[in-house]
Amino acid sequence: MATITYEAATRFYPGSERPAVDGLEISIEDGEFLVLVGPSGCGKSTSLRMLAGLEDVDEGAIRIGDRDVTTLAPGRRDVAMVFQSYALYPHMNVAENMAFALEMAKMPKQERRRRVREAARILDLEPFLDRKPKSLSGGQRQRVAMGRAIVREPQAFLMDEPLSNLDAKLRVSTRSQIAALQKRLGVTTVYVTHDQVEAMTMGDRVAVLNEGVLQQCDSPRALYQRPANAFVAGFIGSPAMNIREFAVHDGHARIGDRDVEVSDELRAALADEGLDRVLLGFRPESVDLVGPSEGFTASVQLVEELGADAYLYCSIAGTDHAGDPDIVTRIDPARPPRVGETVHLRVRAGHEHAFSPVTGERLSS
Amino acid sequence: MSAPPVVDGRAGGAAAPARSTTPTAVERLKRRIPLLPALVLTIVLTQVPLLGTVYYSFHSRNLLRGDAIEFVWFANYADILGDEHFRTAVLNTVVLTASTVTLSIALGVALAVLLDKAFLGRSVVRTLLITPFLVMPAVAALLWKHAMFDPVYGLLNWFLSLVGVGPIDWISELPMFSIVLMMTWQWTPFMMLIVLAGLQSQSPEVLEAAKVDGARAFATFRRITLPHLRRFIELGILLGSIFIVQTFDAIFLITQGGPGQATMNLPYFIYQRTFRAFEVGESAAAGVIVVAGTIVIAIFALRVILNLFREEG
Repeated sequence: MATITYEAATRFYPGSERPAVDGLEISIEDGEFLVLVGPSGCGKSTSLRMLAGLEDVDEGAIRIGDRDVTTLAPGRRDVAMVFQSYALYPHMNVAENMAFALEMAKMPKQERRRRVREAARILDLEPFLDRKPKSLSGGQRQRVAMGRAIVREPQAFLMDEPLSNLDAKLRVSTRSQIAALQKRLGVTTVYVTHDQVEAMTMGDRVAVLNEGVLQQCDSPRALYQRPANAFVAGFIGSPAMNIREFAVHDGHARIGDRDVEVSDELRAALADEGLDRVLLGFRPESVDLVGPSEGFTASVQLVEELGADAYLYCSIAGTDHAGDPDIVTRIDPARPPRVGETVHLRVRAGHEHAFSPVTGERLSS
Repeated sequence: MSAPPVVDGRAGGAAAPARSTTPTAVERLKRRIPLLPALVLTIVLTQVPLLGTVYYSFHSRNLLRGDAIEFVWFANYADILGDEHFRTAVLNTVVLTASTVTLSIALGVALAVLLDKAFLGRSVVRTLLITPFLVMPAVAALLWKHAMFDPVYGLLNWFLSLVGVGPIDWISELPMFSIVLMMTWQWTPFMMLIVLAGLQSQSPEVLEAAKVDGARAFATFRRITLPHLRRFIELGILLGSIFIVQTFDAIFLITQGGPGQATMNLPYFIYQRTFRAFEVGESAAAGVIVVAGTIVIAIFALRVILNLFREEG
């Protein structure tokens, strides 16, 4: 077990001007569960593969503990990896799959067998030790891939979307099992996913990447409550945060048919940057249905009822893009408004996020 | 056998009403009648000669004698199996086939592994390596006989003379080795292609997993890649064996089965019995034995091919 440090690690793919991973700086603590998340092509898998040694580090360095592993071969980094396809050795049975790395490390047979048995016990794989991967279900294969990592007792686990080949139900249960197992073993883990729910539920900290650049690395709660920029704000949370650009006049933002006072702090920040427009973001759960005299007017375009919740997709009065809903809000599912009805909405005070329309960076605190 | 789906004749029928798609027996027959001539032709061309061969193999017949054809039960088979030359031919065929297949598989695997790596001009190299397989067998045999093996102006002796060895009269001194050398040259590309297909069907993530697991290149090849290639290699061995057992051109054009009986293989033995000794009955019996042996190999080959589709689906 060890800390992991990316020091301005950069990776250029041959023939591409733009780096796939651009100056990545993250320090991962010993025993921490760090999730790398982002849209496809954001460089999250490349970052993980750089740590595994499967991609070169073109600039910067990567450390595991106090060892510089930047140019070390994958097999000598003492990390174990779980692949998206599981990458089990098809002609070896489950026990041989798990023991392969130990055998390569020339571990005595006795110890090898002990560790495989132990891992099989933890993962409920004991009845399948003699089976070949092709005769296992998807969930069992996933557990074998986990077992192959566990038996090595490595410095770190690297997991590359290990749940994306499972069906939705199994994914949820396996998600909590992996998180619990990681806590129990206390092995530093770097986990890549494109699914922000997975990221939020599993990680001690979550690093959001976009276009090869680290956007923010923080606890799930902090990412949700204080996104550092408009990209993180829009990426974390489901349904996504409402982020719209509004004009600001005399300390008031014009939202639909109503002027909303902005905080002094935001006014100062806007003045500093010389901006007369602001990107305002508010989560669906921060918008309330209110009486006709309060809030701004919007007409309902779509009602999505999910049982526990219902979501209203509305267009704000006074804006002209008719087809595209301007605002999504969570409401009490007991008495949802009908499509076409006019409603009045208000953003809960202090629950709005303001970003610069130029840089996308957060303006308010 | 499942029936082919009925094609809806109307163009662009987006919401065509569902129609019964199970054709009646008459419809099925109508649909297959056009295939009948091809089927009849196939039977005439393949099964009738085989039946003719089986018929002759039970009769005594020599084209040089005008005797009546006489049914002799298994006498031809007994004669053939008791014939020392036949047994030599079987042995030679086994030696020729086994050594050619072994050598061409070994070389084919090595070349395929090299070709699996990316390098400048790979497609040119691949094309050049495949060429021997595209050369007509008779042309290849003549080329080797004259350009390579000739004791006076052959290239092999010229190469050996550079290191001060030789000259060797390849065809007289090392007849079987020469044939095997030429056949290996011809069959290596075939094995290489099959193994290359196997290599390229291997999941790159499995190889990466082995890397992360600390396996070095040789261990990865031996423990991960070679087991994956096993079925492809088996397929190469079996298909190669079926074809190499039938080798005729090289023997006929280079050694005529000689010197003595040194390179006499089964096809050439049968040819001699039929067209030199005109022993139709005996050569038919030998032919039936060879076909039976080949069918046994072919059954194994088919089983391997079927397994290939089942294994890593």
